[in-house]
Amino acid sequence: MTRTRRPVIGPGSVLRLPSAKIALVILAVVIVIAVFGSALAPQNPLTINANALFQGPSASHLLGTDYLGRDVLSRLMAGTRLSVLTAFEAVAIGLVIGAPLGVAAVFLGRWFDFAVNRVADALMTLPYIFFVVAVTAALGNGLVQAMFAVGFLLWPGFFRITRAATLEFARAQYVEAAELLGASKLHVIRVHVVRKVLPTMAVTTASATAAALLAVSFLTFLGIGVVAPAPTWGGVLSSDLDYLSQAPWAPFIPGLLIAVTVGALNALADAFRDRTAPGALPAADPVIKTHSTLEVLEAAGDRQSAQSAA
Amino acid sequence: MPVLRLHPHVRLRPPGRARRAVAAAAALIALSAAVAACGSSGGSATADGAAGAAATTAGVSGTLNWEWELPTSWDPVTSSAGWDMHALGLVYASITTLDPSGTVEPGLASSWKYAADGKSVTFTLRPGLKFSDGDPLTATSVAENVKRGQTQGNSTVASELSVISKVVVNSPTSFTLDLTQVDYQVPDLLAGKDGMIVNPAYFKNVTALATQPEGAGPFSLTAYVPDSHASLVRNPDYWDASQIHIANFNVLDITQPEQILSALESGEVNVAYIAGNQVAAAKAAGFKIDVIPSEVVDELDIQTTTAPFSNPDVVKAINYAIDRQALLQVQASGYGAVAYQPFPAGFVGYSAKLADEYPYNPTLAKQLLAQAGYAKGLKITLTAPSADDSVAEQIQGQLAQVGITATIGNISTDTETQYLYLDKTIPFAVDGTAGRMSPVEMLDVLYSQQGLMNVDGKATTTPAAVTSALSAALTVPLDSPGYPAALQNAVATAVQDEPTHIWLYTQPRIFAYSPTVSGIPSDLVQQRWEGVTVGS
Amino acid sequence: MAAALELPNLGLAGAAEAIAPRRRRARAAAARIGGGIAVLIPIVVLSSFITYCLGALSNSNPAATILGQDAATPAAVAHLDHVLGLDKPLVVQYWDWLTQAVRGNLGVSYFTQIPVSQSIAQRLPVDLSIALTAVVLAVLIGGTAGTAAAVYRGSWFDRGVTIACSVITTLPAFVVGIILVVIFAVAAHLLPAEGYVGPSAGIWPWFEHIILPSLALALQVAADIARQLRTSLVSVLDENYITGARVRGLPYRRILFRHALRNASGPALTILGNDFPIMLAGAVAAEVVFSLPGLGQLILASAQTRDIPVVQGVLLVVATFVVVVNLVVNTLLNWLYRTNDGIGA
Repeated sequence: MTRTRRPVIGPGSVLRLPSAKIALVILAVVIVIAVFGSALAPQNPLTINANALFQGPSASHLLGTDYLGRDVLSRLMAGTRLSVLTAFEAVAIGLVIGAPLGVAAVFLGRWFDFAVNRVADALMTLPYIFFVVAVTAALGNGLVQAMFAVGFLLWPGFFRITRAATLEFARAQYVEAAELLGASKLHVIRVHVVRKVLPTMAVTTASATAAALLAVSFLTFLGIGVVAPAPTWGGVLSSDLDYLSQAPWAPFIPGLLIAVTVGALNALADAFRDRTAPGALPAADPVIKTHSTLEVLEAAGDRQSAQSAA
Repeated sequence: MPVLRLHPHVRLRPPGRARRAVAAAAALIALSAAVAACGSSGGSATADGAAGAAATTAGVSGTLNWEWELPTSWDPVTSSAGWDMHALGLVYASITTLDPSGTVEPGLASSWKYAADGKSVTFTLRPGLKFSDGDPLTATSVAENVKRGQTQGNSTVASELSVISKVVVNSPTSFTLDLTQVDYQVPDLLAGKDGMIVNPAYFKNVTALATQPEGAGPFSLTAYVPDSHASLVRNPDYWDASQIHIANFNVLDITQPEQILSALESGEVNVAYIAGNQVAAAKAAGFKIDVIPSEVVDELDIQTTTAPFSNPDVVKAINYAIDRQALLQVQASGYGAVAYQPFPAGFVGYSAKLADEYPYNPTLAKQLLAQAGYAKGLKITLTAPSADDSVAEQIQGQLAQVGITATIGNISTDTETQYLYLDKTIPFAVDGTAGRMSPVEMLDVLYSQQGLMNVDGKATTTPAAVTSALSAALTVPLDSPGYPAALQNAVATAVQDEPTHIWLYTQPRIFAYSPTVSGIPSDLVQQRWEGVTVGS
Repeated sequence: MAAALELPNLGLAGAAEAIAPRRRRARAAAARIGGGIAVLIPIVVLSSFITYCLGALSNSNPAATILGQDAATPAAVAHLDHVLGLDKPLVVQYWDWLTQAVRGNLGVSYFTQIPVSQSIAQRLPVDLSIALTAVVLAVLIGGTAGTAAAVYRGSWFDRGVTIACSVITTLPAFVVGIILVVIFAVAAHLLPAEGYVGPSAGIWPWFEHIILPSLALALQVAADIARQLRTSLVSVLDENYITGARVRGLPYRRILFRHALRNASGPALTILGNDFPIMLAGAVAAEVVFSLPGLGQLILASAQTRDIPVVQGVLLVVATFVVVVNLVVNTLLNWLYRTNDGIGA
């Protein structure tokens, strides 16, 4: 059973496939900077120059200088690595906790399933920032702790999806049919389940990364997890706010950077969603697009649990 | 000392203080600084012309919204920051006051006289003094206050009051202080926090005083939201109420420098304390600027009892590694002067001997480090209260040049004084002095074993030379010709023998204010409000 | 949030055919609400337990902090631990705390000794003002934009709205807040850049101070609402009964407001419920950018000083608040879409 992938056009959305291409380009640039940033940066992001405070863009400082005379472009490039890596870490944590739990919830009995579902609900009740701040109160003000907290809030989304996928697999008739026809379990998994689950997983992962990146930016903006003088996107934005009257243009730069990257990730998630073959597990109601927060995963999870509620 | 707010580098690091939210009532308290006129010490001519001009004619009206840091406690005995004196001075009256140039003047007491041997001093209170709630303020009130300051478990002024061995109440308006040694600076001492008189009727519930002060000052507190604002109204029973022309006074705590400027512009604040690098913006926006010389000096507290700072070469290396001029330029746009000692130039305690103690010399710093055994580099932690990040970052960069890797640790301004001064658990921190009324008291706070700002604390003993130099300065009457030399000698000895403070630069008090405010008295130590009017 | 909480559909509709429709509906509604509460209470308990565990996980030593270094001898610390109940098992401590919390006693701050409930009560009005205004703004802006985009679908206005929505949803609340500050406060000097004034100081000053932060919160939600509404409305307007009504000559406006919007707004209102936690996160951003003394600033400051009772108290209040709002939104939706076959739209 082969299906050609037909681009499905979302209702009234401008985020069509060409946008996905642009998004991929943007993300590629960001990842390259994250990996090679320190080599690519034109200047040392830590060099303080007392005579060159708050300069505007110039030949030697493409994006100007900050409150200590440091080159803004180099700082943002250096900050990319930290921000992007920690976002990935958070997503990884969410995946590593959520996916196995999703599978386990199906096979370990109703009570376990019920309990984990309620814990997932409870975690989603809290607006994430309060939870993360509480974690830093308990465990210390580091980015590692904060990222663990964010990752911990991402697992319910992954949990719901893997649970729904596993349920579907466990009950699907086509699985039985395929097995009756002689296909091995492995073949069934690979051909049917993966085809159905992978697109959803891609959507979820992209959305989760967007949410995590936003969370990193926000947390570093609030000062959580910032280790001076290491630059972070949110940290640069925060100090720009402190000197607004001396450099009113300054916050737009990191702000734009954050928005563009998060937007690209969301666009990617949308593209995955749009291109999903109709038979696949629905990732989320396509009309609720581009929530750029953690709560999108709950919405995604809803649809599965609603449809495959035990 | 006290938590000094070094403005320009305020960051949004865990915003230790929430701001704003003024609740209704603008209590404008006008403190008129009455000081100037009183006679017995021959006070010098005051610099605040505005105060004199407006004094007698203006009625009482207007609201002054002062952007300023709220105190760690409204109880002068438990306040853990010298900086609190400015806010506390709004609700409490002290026994004496200082005129703008720092000379002691009558306050609650109209006069005083030392005994011939200098070991006791008798004060005469003004008649008819009352607390803001109507209770009479007598010599007995003073005695009870001194006793509480000396004996209360969590008192932060005990060591400063320890020179008083006994308070003898002679009459309702006269008391004599017997001293443990000859000390001519007692009247100065009593001009600030140490001499603030709290209504003893409230001593049975002392913990409430931290949020509900009861004093006899120019204003009385009507509302207080911690970390946000305090509202006060003029106290007509204040002994110098005729000089207070402001009806309502609000203290608003705003830490972000940008928001201070914007609060000025929107009119929510009409007097703001700003940093040097905000002067240009404030002037451009049409506000008046007063640059008031003050006793404030920014410095680094360093625990010389903790490794690696126990090695004097390391401390010297840090001193030479810091480019104070660059700090001044970036942090204050040049307002202020490089400093190697606790008093600014022009002040009687300024010692010329220390004028060029540690010129910027990174090569020498590296040599000293190598000598100390850290040729390969040194790792330390520099703690900064959230507000000081920019200074800390700049110093971090300078230390990195000589091979010292400094990690910046943040502590919240809310708990800074607890950890730095009371618990003394922080070995290296960005800090500043707020000034004290008595110069020897300042030195005492900085360098003596029980001094609040001496982060070495009980772990060390004060060198004998320092103790004797300090006593020597105390035993010289303030108006004797030998006083300046004695004081400067005490300063030089303390700074050189006890390297527990790395001095950076002086910080004048800069106010940006709306043209409707008549002017700000240029008080050297504690800001006063006598004579200030607010038009509409 | 509505679906996430999986309100049980108790299926009363079918069984109660015989009972008068009104009573049947009322019972169904009451059952749903009751079911909702039954599901929500464990959630509040669980959330509070998780947050309480965080406090316990923290290796801070509150007794030592309260006593101060000099006085914190092991004996004194042990004594104060006993007085504060810190030597009991975690679950017991939690139960004590919860039972006290239900009565409104959230403990006192380790550092200032001010009752937590007092600090929270002082700051709650700020967040409430912002949140409520933000909801109103989101509905107004989102509703209008979405409706207009649907009505004039295909036009440049429709395109513009869609593009604007896409852009806005990628901007986090703190970025939006900063942009607003730069435009309205720094550049144009129209509105104050920070601070909060209670309504008792005058309605206009209060409004002046909350309009920018509320807007910062509202925009993202408004964009979601606009987009959702547009989609639903477009599909509803295509339905046969709408065409039928138009053919019969009913005025377009009446069709739009009475019928089309009513049926299309379900999902959009659900978004409001779903997005409420987003708004709360945005509220913290707004508090920081605009320097508002709200719960976000309180928890940030307390977290930094490790003032655990305050952190726990704020978390509990916030979680309860979210849950209550969800309940209200669900009830509202159920009431709005009361039909014979259960939850509509």
